[in-house]
Amino acid sequence: MRTLKLLQTLLKINIQMSLAYRADTVINIFLSLVWLGWEFLSLNIIFSNTTTLGGWGIGELIVLLGVFRLVNTYMAALIWPNTEKFNASVRDGSLDYTLLQPVNSLFMVSFSRITIWRGWEVLLSGSLIVVGTRMSGSISSPLSLLTFFVLVLSGGLVLYSLWVVLIALTFWFTKFDNNVTILQALLDSGRFPATVYPAWLRIIVTFIIPIAVATTVPVQGLRGELSPAQVLGFLGISAAAFLFAMQVWQLGIKRYSGASS
Amino acid sequence: MLNIFKHFWQVNWAENWQYRANLLMYLFYWLVSPIIYMAVWTTVARSNGSVNGMTANDFIVYYMTLLVIDQLTGNITIHIFAYKIQDGTLAGELIRPVHPMLTNTLVTNLAHKALNFLAFLPIWGVLCLLFRPDYTGTPWWGPILAVPAVILGFAIGFLLSGAITCVAFWTTRVWALHEFYYSILVLFSGQFVPLQLMPGIVQQMARYLPFQLILYFPIQLTLGRLSPTEIVTGFASALVWLVVSYLLFTWTWREGVKRFSAVGA
Repeated sequence: MRTLKLLQTLLKINIQMSLAYRADTVINIFLSLVWLGWEFLSLNIIFSNTTTLGGWGIGELIVLLGVFRLVNTYMAALIWPNTEKFNASVRDGSLDYTLLQPVNSLFMVSFSRITIWRGWEVLLSGSLIVVGTRMSGSISSPLSLLTFFVLVLSGGLVLYSLWVVLIALTFWFTKFDNNVTILQALLDSGRFPATVYPAWLRIIVTFIIPIAVATTVPVQGLRGELSPAQVLGFLGISAAAFLFAMQVWQLGIKRYSGASS
Repeated sequence: MLNIFKHFWQVNWAENWQYRANLLMYLFYWLVSPIIYMAVWTTVARSNGSVNGMTANDFIVYYMTLLVIDQLTGNITIHIFAYKIQDGTLAGELIRPVHPMLTNTLVTNLAHKALNFLAFLPIWGVLCLLFRPDYTGTPWWGPILAVPAVILGFAIGFLLSGAITCVAFWTTRVWALHEFYYSILVLFSGQFVPLQLMPGIVQQMARYLPFQLILYFPIQLTLGRLSPTEIVTGFASALVWLVVSYLLFTWTWREGVKRFSAVGA
């Protein structure tokens, strides 16, 4: 309950902050439409030359684009701005104040910056997923739809856990303010099914920086390509990753000694 | 004048060398997208035999060459110059009797490029082992003719980015405008999709725009895939755009500096 109230307050602060840059917001919404146009064009070019990409039709690629955009929105609305704030607060010592507050420190570090206007992209991604699902036709059972949503959430949790570990590393290596570049760099790989990538790249985006777990895997679930055991396996991995990340965060906090003192 | 450039080079090289870890990260960041598109197109070409006459190897060769050309013709002007206008530090450079953009910023770009290229070469070697491009169809004169095209491409890209950065004199923030410029560049330069696969209308427009001179023209020239007429018109249009982008840059610069009030200083 208290957490909800806190989240509400943070939202209010962030709405006020984004209202200060109204022109920026409008231009950014326009830009995300420009990129959507580009994404459609490149899908159109690919599928005017072939009927399937790695065994997937255009409908499934549109679903994938929707999931990719969802992950991208999550990164752009929460992860990147909070990383920036976190890195700055470790550098100048203002993390002390966050740690002194009587709430979960990781909660404050994860949610104190929210790029509100990105919210509309959730709707956009949702419509891409709906349209893509209808176009592909092969997806029918409500169970596969449920699997899809559960896998999207668990994939998001895996990426969140990885992020927590990456930023927590700053407690050990203070100069590590490139901590999320590798995540940013590989994010684009989520646009296409990981099955088309050469083996080495597929291994990187599946096991090391698991972008594909949040993008390709849910769509595989939607297509009914995954056995129940595999789905449970992914859920287990994401739970384990989350618990591991919490441990790393706690250890990091213990190590932190403040930059100003 | 040569002495001035030499001094700027020494300072900028040392400065860039200091941030070599960042350079590697930046390099990695920039490599991923072309590799992804290369993987997608080779998959399509393998399953269909060829796409529009392009075989899987044609795509591999295209993107592997693109990585080199992009490294050579690209520039980071906005990243090093926009903040100087935003926070007013440009004031210090304006006092000097040399053009800040055409000396210091230019040399920063070149030093960054040189250092990046050193780190890039071994990575390119590894990628060659992984993707096995077959360059046997490439004529010897291709890479030679591409040298002036790369220089022209860099000059045009640098001047256009410079002109866009100068818009910051009016608006202070130019990031959104720059992203818009980048999205147009992506569409018309052949960065993610070779231009000959684009819809006819995009190809027609690309022919008259400067963006293909930064990537597509030097790439195709290197690979010897252009007819003599295309080569001549390509160079002619590069010279025209060089003049146009120079005029555009000097105009935005001149008018912009007049408005400069050293924000924050």
